[in-house]
Amino acid sequence: MSIRPFVKGIYDQQIDELTGSREFKALELGEATRQEYDAFIGNVIITHLNSPQFLAFLYSVAPPAARDRLKDNMLEELGLEEETGDSHPDLLRKLADGAGLKGRLADFEQQADERLREVTSTRLLYGTLKEAGLSSMCEINAFEYMLSRVSGAIAVALEQHRGLDSDTLLWFTHHSVVDVQHAEEGFRSIDDFVEYYDFSEEDAQTIVEMSLRENTYIKRYFGDISQGRAAGMLRDDP
Amino acid sequence: MILESATIYGLEIPFIEGFSHSTKSRTFSDAIVVKVRSSEGVTGYGEGLPRPYVTGESRDTVLQNLQESLWPAIRQKDIPAFEEDRSLAALLRLSETIPPALVEGGVIHNAARAAMELAVIDCGLRTANIGLAAVLPPKRQTVVYSGVISTSSVEGATKRARQMKVLGLDSIKVKVGTQDDLKRLEAIRQVVGPGVSLRVDANGAWTVDEAIAILQAMESIDIAAVEQPIPPGNVAGLAKLRKNSPIPVMVDESLVTEADAGQLIAAQACDFFNIRVSKCGGLVPTLAIAKQAHQGRIKIQVGSQVGETAILSAVGRHVAASLPEVSFVEGSFGTLLLSQDVSHENISFGYGGEAPTQRGPGWGIRVLEERLEKYASTIVSL
Repeated sequence: MSIRPFVKGIYDQQIDELTGSREFKALELGEATRQEYDAFIGNVIITHLNSPQFLAFLYSVAPPAARDRLKDNMLEELGLEEETGDSHPDLLRKLADGAGLKGRLADFEQQADERLREVTSTRLLYGTLKEAGLSSMCEINAFEYMLSRVSGAIAVALEQHRGLDSDTLLWFTHHSVVDVQHAEEGFRSIDDFVEYYDFSEEDAQTIVEMSLRENTYIKRYFGDISQGRAAGMLRDDP
Repeated sequence: MILESATIYGLEIPFIEGFSHSTKSRTFSDAIVVKVRSSEGVTGYGEGLPRPYVTGESRDTVLQNLQESLWPAIRQKDIPAFEEDRSLAALLRLSETIPPALVEGGVIHNAARAAMELAVIDCGLRTANIGLAAVLPPKRQTVVYSGVISTSSVEGATKRARQMKVLGLDSIKVKVGTQDDLKRLEAIRQVVGPGVSLRVDANGAWTVDEAIAILQAMESIDIAAVEQPIPPGNVAGLAKLRKNSPIPVMVDESLVTEADAGQLIAAQACDFFNIRVSKCGGLVPTLAIAKQAHQGRIKIQVGSQVGETAILSAVGRHVAASLPEVSFVEGSFGTLLLSQDVSHENISFGYGGEAPTQRGPGWGIRVLEERLEKYASTIVSL
């Protein structure tokens, strides 16, 4: 049993929603304000700054067949498997610095930590860690899959319209390369997880749907009000 | 305690997914939050959600009632808090300082009163640095919530039922009043199995005769209760329906005031009361109706408002934990429904619908003012 087509279908739809959103188009076309570019950069940093910790959780519940893949991914995030030696959080700090947002880094770090606190303090919806693990795996792989397709275009936009140099944009360009592999491995890990922990296809798909109910890309990168408008939950003010 | 200022926030918090029943679809929370501040600098928060089809209130009437009637009645007055007396009587005295809900032209201003009463009680509790549990001791440490399936296609209902099953919920309410109700209920029952309690809520979609026929057809699906089968205002019709229904009858929109409760009990028109703090005009009126239910041998569901924030959810949880007997509890969806809630603590229930009773001062949550400001489409400072 493979739930890959099911998961990929949801990812693809949400990426279309992201790239079709008013906010994303404004970034791509150079129509966003300096403040909007900076808010976007800040939201990217906040979203991904604690990624190694989330990957460490996945590694801790990884089934044998996926263990090495998740370990490699986690070590790479931590900068322990790369020639440059830069961890991904350090690449994000470099992004803040290069974008002239170093003074706001402490605030970004505080917001990233707050998100971790919220996730950790929220009552678990599921009966065991296997469901929580599958849910987390789907969410984390969603970003790797999206970045493998979109981060290159984002880097170009930030270079052309926000004037950032290639060194500053390394986090984006790096992800446009490595996340192609990570996303592919992520799908295999999801299937390994479903098989090893003996999910029924129906339960696995239900958990995937629940985990991806809202467009996390738009919510994290542009805020929940933008997501609410994109999803038709709020009036779309001009 | 002397209240010096108040701020009203009319919120618009987007939902993660839309919610529908037979008379209304919602895509965002329209909660109205009231913050009061005492001369000692202590703040308290209350919340109400206007529902035109329940109390006749709208956002405008709530905003107007708060500004022109309720706040002027308590501003700068010395209101008894809980510094020395932490009894239920002290809670009643504090609530009595808020004027009774205005009734005019078919509108019962209960949501407005609830928002102000709750803010003042929270402020009083925080002034004494105690939680509501000190005044209203919990009779259970864990509250167990029901899931809710809104009106949708058979396929949509099946999908929701699968989600409820994965979440371990053993009690589910299904919104009905559509052509496909029976098919939806059969599909849901097939997914969740015989051990899960199902009840239905028609939000007044049927006539008495329609309800009798439909409920008889639903009998084989094993439905625990039918909520508000006919429109409010017809106590005799409810009584007739109850006599002829194979499924116990619960009232919601028909039950707004203590007078309503008295009439419904006297007419033997129902088996359950759905009590909700906002529609009932606040905490103390809700407790009073619960007491009437207990005396009249009516079972209780502690209900909620779709789109309520952590404030009303926390109050509802205190009520549900404190009553001697509760059949069903709803609410505390928090970030399961809202894109973001307004408190530091996440109020959402967890697996099996379980959530612990609230601890800490006031309602046991810390409201984040920056969130209120973020989602407010209207802010009124008084």
